[in-house]
Amino acid sequence: MKITNVIQAIDEEAVRKPQQIAYDYLGQTHTYQDLKKYSDALACHIAKMDLDPQAPIMVYGEQNFEMIATFIGVVKSGHAYIPIDKHSPNERLTMIQEIAKPAACIAVEPLPITISQIPVVTTQDLTQVFESSIQAEWHQKVKNEQDFYIIFTSGTTGKPKGVQISHQNLTSFVNWMLTDFGLPTSPVCLAQAPYSFDLSVMSLYPTLVSGGTLRVLPKQVTDDFKQLFAYLPKMALNEWVSTPSFMDICLLQPTFDAKHLPDLSHFLFCGEELTHQTASLLKQRFPKAHIYNTYGPTETTVAVSALEITSEVLQKYDRLPIGKSKADTTIDIVDSQGNILPTDQEGEIVISGPGVSKGYLNNPQKTAHAFQQIKGKLSYHSGDLGKKDVNGMLFYRGRLDFQIKLHGYRIELEEVNHYLNMQTLIKQAVAVPKYDRDHKVAQLVAYVIAKENVFKTDMELVLAIKKDLQKMMMPYMIPNRFVFKDNLPLTANGKIDIKSIMSEVNS
Amino acid sequence: MDTKTTVLNVLNDLTGTDVSGDLDGNLFDSGLLDSMGTVQLLLQLQSELGVDVPVSEFERSEWDTPNKIIARVEAMQN
Repeated sequence: MKITNVIQAIDEEAVRKPQQIAYDYLGQTHTYQDLKKYSDALACHIAKMDLDPQAPIMVYGEQNFEMIATFIGVVKSGHAYIPIDKHSPNERLTMIQEIAKPAACIAVEPLPITISQIPVVTTQDLTQVFESSIQAEWHQKVKNEQDFYIIFTSGTTGKPKGVQISHQNLTSFVNWMLTDFGLPTSPVCLAQAPYSFDLSVMSLYPTLVSGGTLRVLPKQVTDDFKQLFAYLPKMALNEWVSTPSFMDICLLQPTFDAKHLPDLSHFLFCGEELTHQTASLLKQRFPKAHIYNTYGPTETTVAVSALEITSEVLQKYDRLPIGKSKADTTIDIVDSQGNILPTDQEGEIVISGPGVSKGYLNNPQKTAHAFQQIKGKLSYHSGDLGKKDVNGMLFYRGRLDFQIKLHGYRIELEEVNHYLNMQTLIKQAVAVPKYDRDHKVAQLVAYVIAKENVFKTDMELVLAIKKDLQKMMMPYMIPNRFVFKDNLPLTANGKIDIKSIMSEVNS
Repeated sequence: MDTKTTVLNVLNDLTGTDVSGDLDGNLFDSGLLDSMGTVQLLLQLQSELGVDVPVSEFERSEWDTPNKIIARVEAMQN
């Protein structure tokens, strides 16, 4: 099956199977008919607001049905949506508003701060819109090169970058998911990642265009292991989408296996390196299931390469490959001058094809830095180090810069440092990753010279610093450990010697 | 080493913070532990003290301070 328009494909499911469950949030279910009705009503409401047609709309919320109905309503009205997770610090809302210059904000969950200068659809307004009986369809929906969603990622100077994903980008991704993974027709798929993280797109659109059911595992359940393991077997999932880190939690439970979850046939991983250890334990637990490792930066729409991890693959490789590129996409390994390198040589992974974003919203400088037109094709310089073997099999080897992945979240260390050095109790600080045996970042460690302070213990000082940082930074960006020093090692040029701190942390 | 010292060492190593000064402080509220930290904690307790905490029985509210963790581990050892 291939689709040409994401929204149309979802609406067709509503006509074909109106009573089919589209979304199940802890037993609160909504059908495809509900999804169409809610999103049509919202699209008409937005059309009446008379907004700048080019500007995106911020959507603030968590993981309930109203959140995805809002995304689709926004897209039906011709605007792109910017998902902002409820667990974000207030600063991030303000900063995204400043950078994205959105036309409006929709509060699926009540906003923690006052948003001024733009119209706000409040949670109450939204409920009224959804409950209204507007039947009209709105025909200005996003298409072709127009932005579908904009996801903000970590930036180096404390300013997040908004990755613009067009309808064409998304269609290329969704069609690849529908053709290359042997997914069941109308699968019951896990929806676990927050919507501000593009891993969620891997569950959301492929499932909705194929008339499947999204079953949500919200943060409050995954945080409570007792609830998590009581609920998992009841979910009757066919398809699993998560980071490998989340799988590591689930594998702690011995009954997380094919016997207790017999319907689970497909596992898709993205967001960080899938280790041999995680994949082989999973294969032991689910011998007949199909396990896929996928790879891709947010800038190229979720993922661009994949490999099924079979017993043979596990036997052949100690460090798992990230697979081959999808058919419509080219992945090259290039040197620092941009020359394509021969097979088996390490260099930067450069991706070209219809999944490549047009760039960062309102940030021409950063866009020019990472995106290039090569022979009429748009290419993205990933900053990832990799190599390709003679069969086109790709291997990930780390980063070229100070970007890291921690439990699937992408973090620019420069951004962390920026916030640390702004904090009033800190004189100077630098954050470095601590790696585990499998080359994965296990923790973010901050080396800090503290200012004089009144705290009796380091713990009190750490708590005060963390509490303050929570107001400015995404929770996953806050260093796990703080090491206090009287001075930090310097390089010959007088800069903080990050390499020596990294080797100390990882010794 | 007694259980208490071992647990505190594990917590110290995991959080990078000496928690012995505040044995009733909530490790989750303070941001010292999260889900992934909990996974590491359980694995460490298993390898260092041989206690097998069934993860499906893990309720955060029963493990959220150093004192509660020490008491739980001691109960499981007996």
